[in-house]
Amino acid sequence: MKLSLTNHNFSTLLNFSFINLRRPFCSSSLSLSPPNYLKPKVPIFLRPPIYSTKLSDLKKWHDWAKNVASSIGSTFVKSDNGPDSSLLCRELKWFIEDVVENHHSSLFSQMGLDDDIERVKMRVDLEELYCLWKQRIEERKPFQYIVGCEHWRDLVLSVEEGVLIPRPETEVIVDLVCDVVSKNEDLKRGVWADLGTGSGALAIGIGRVLGNGGKVIASDLSSVAVAVAAYNVERYCLQDKIELREGSWLEPLKGMEGKLAGLVSNPPYIPSKEISGLQAEVGKHEPRVALDGGADGMNALLHLCDGADLMLKSGGFFAFETNGEQQCKELVDYMKSNKSASLCNLEILADFAGIQRFVIGFRL
Amino acid sequence: MLNFPRRSPTITTFLCKIIKNSYESHHITTSPTLFHCRHLSHSFPHNTTPWFSSTRLSRSGYSNELSPTQARFWASQPESTEHSTSDELTVQAILSNNWPILDENDSDWKSHATAVAQSIHLIKRRLQWKKLKVRLDMLSVQVNKADLWDDPVNAGKINREHGSLLGKVKEVNALERELIEHIEMIKLAREENDAELELESTKALLNMRRNAEEKELEALLAEEQDSCSCYIEVQAGAGGTESMDWAAMIMQMYKLWAQKRGYKVTVMEEMAGEIGIKRATIKVDGEFAFGYAKAEIGVHRLVRISPFDSNKRRHTSFAAVAVIPILGGESSRVQINESDLRIERFRSGGPGGQHANTTESAVRIIHIPTGVIATCQNERSQHSNKASAMAVLQSRLDQLEITRQAQLNAQHTQSLTDITWGSQIRSYVLHPYRMVKDLRTNYEVSDPDSVLEGDLDGFIMSYLSASLDKNEDDA
Ligand SMILES: C[S@@+](CC[C@H](N)C(=O)[O-])C[C@H]1O[C@@H](n2cnc3c(N)ncnc32)[C@H](O)[C@@H]1O
Repeated sequence: MKLSLTNHNFSTLLNFSFINLRRPFCSSSLSLSPPNYLKPKVPIFLRPPIYSTKLSDLKKWHDWAKNVASSIGSTFVKSDNGPDSSLLCRELKWFIEDVVENHHSSLFSQMGLDDDIERVKMRVDLEELYCLWKQRIEERKPFQYIVGCEHWRDLVLSVEEGVLIPRPETEVIVDLVCDVVSKNEDLKRGVWADLGTGSGALAIGIGRVLGNGGKVIASDLSSVAVAVAAYNVERYCLQDKIELREGSWLEPLKGMEGKLAGLVSNPPYIPSKEISGLQAEVGKHEPRVALDGGADGMNALLHLCDGADLMLKSGGFFAFETNGEQQCKELVDYMKSNKSASLCNLEILADFAGIQRFVIGFRL
Repeated sequence: MLNFPRRSPTITTFLCKIIKNSYESHHITTSPTLFHCRHLSHSFPHNTTPWFSSTRLSRSGYSNELSPTQARFWASQPESTEHSTSDELTVQAILSNNWPILDENDSDWKSHATAVAQSIHLIKRRLQWKKLKVRLDMLSVQVNKADLWDDPVNAGKINREHGSLLGKVKEVNALERELIEHIEMIKLAREENDAELELESTKALLNMRRNAEEKELEALLAEEQDSCSCYIEVQAGAGGTESMDWAAMIMQMYKLWAQKRGYKVTVMEEMAGEIGIKRATIKVDGEFAFGYAKAEIGVHRLVRISPFDSNKRRHTSFAAVAVIPILGGESSRVQINESDLRIERFRSGGPGGQHANTTESAVRIIHIPTGVIATCQNERSQHSNKASAMAVLQSRLDQLEITRQAQLNAQHTQSLTDITWGSQIRSYVLHPYRMVKDLRTNYEVSDPDSVLEGDLDGFIMSYLSASLDKNEDDA
């Protein structure tokens, strides 16, 4: 479906955009519309509150949505470790927070004699709310894709299909970098790289802790990821600090050999054969290129070790996220036997769930 | 280990001794004060106000007999002699005249003057006037010491408290002076037959009478932490569904109360039961949130026909409430060492990382040396949950420290775990009759719905005034 001003008179144009506004994501219309790599979707909470609804109608929707969520019980937990009703109900609460203008916690708890008169302003049409919640429950579309954002650290990052939703575990990498740069002024003002940046989460988190002169090169193979990351970088006004590059792993770093102050990455690390058994939200909706790390999940990680060796300057820091204890150990073993002349102070760190998750170290 | 800020324990002990020795034993009874009339008369007659009828005022409590050692510090104090008219009418004398208090609309200066005098008296009692003056003396000594600023943190604290107490003393003195001046004017006007001046001064008295109410309220919340924001925690008692439902009702009551007062409410933690909540913590942001909410600490009891019992039997449920102040100044806060903390993700399972998509990012922080735990699950990112849980942990440790230092088991410093299920403070009966009654003050209301919808101020005010006003000899 191509829309060009010259081919349509004004009224059809109006008509078209009207329909489009009311049902942009519903049913099959989504898969028909052309993918637009260059213009990321605006997350719901940033859209203008142009829809007005009777409070009673919104309540009706809310009751329906709550019912649907409750009916799930622990079905998803049992089938693939998905969300249970209580999690879905919390998502519903956040959904309303994002959708309703001037949202307040007692919106639905008031006694509501005036519900038929009182109107609320919303950023999405009521009909679309029904569609979106159906997608959440029936298609198991991740909540973050529904609202178009993920709260990560103190950031709210825009995300959409085609880009990995940043994980809470990964937040810790920024803390690690924070520790390192707070003790080392040189690294604080150096050039860092975030390879496989996805939504730009790590790059933005790190960009905000670097000092004057500090820079981050953020790269990804996926052009959707690069576009979304660029959008997020702009939202946090970090265009001067973060440079986005499209390309595979080390390739966009050509010319930076021995110059980087730091290298971080959360590369795809799930072993290929495990992809099919993933939780529906992940396996059916997140991009495979962001998850699949090859037969043992180590393809990218091993490549990144070479990158640390090649790209970091002396004293430079690296931090990689892994699939868990086994990968951490293998990675450290690999570095010890192949990179002992260049990589040192290797350490394995656990995430808050107690799973050994990160390998960090320095360039000699 | 915990680094606790240094504070001298000897000050309090010393204070207690002084105050004990200075208690007087002459009492007079007095008629109800303005405050009681206004706030309680609609719900029950004055003569059944138990904490009031037992209230007695000290006749000599007001005079400032100074010991020779104290006297030399008075140089830096506000005037401490009693204000009196030319014919030696003092505030104390006005009180003991027992002039009848008529309605505000009756333009009777004696009545206005007596009402104001009673307010002043009440304010002083609430401020614990004698203790306050002794403390002010001590602080004045310290403020004037040459080496005060050798310890800047402590100096700042002393300076702040000194300034605050001095301000209160000055304000009360000003009230007394103003009262006496107006009376003087009225007497003068009468002597000179100046009707206009008399009317004007009577009006001024009436104004004072009206403003005094607010000052009485302010005096209820004069403690250092009263102005802080706070956390309110509710925990369901034994009894499963019944109590968890009751805990949720109580929590809702506080949310509505806080909203009515214009406070900002944030849910920090909520452990849901099948129905209702097992336990929850909210943050109440705004001036004097702690000062008011501390009146709610203790066990709340509900009697009703259970909506969950198919046999429609009567059930009694319990919920415990704790209130923790969120201290402001950095200086008074306990220092927490990062290495003393264990941070855990809540309800985690499975391999995590890229395998999982979850909006669950609750965090639990354990302070290893004390075993104090804080959790937060309300925020949308793990990072923010951690920050909020840290703030809760900080306040809990501060509270622990305050209790440790004060060594007085003041009720408002109790944590949820300290509250014994025996310490009931209020009873909500929905069946066979309908009534909410505070067991500490006997204040009661026959409309439980309004209370559960957050109309708590009557209970709070009566408790606050009762707990301060019972200090008979303080004025
Ligand atoms: C697990 S995601 C991590 C995204 C983001 N850094 C985060 O933590 O949320 C892995 C990312 O690596 C990217 N990627 C996959 N293969 C790549 C390659 N050959 N070169 C560069 N990036 C690649 C994917 O597009 C995806 O964005």
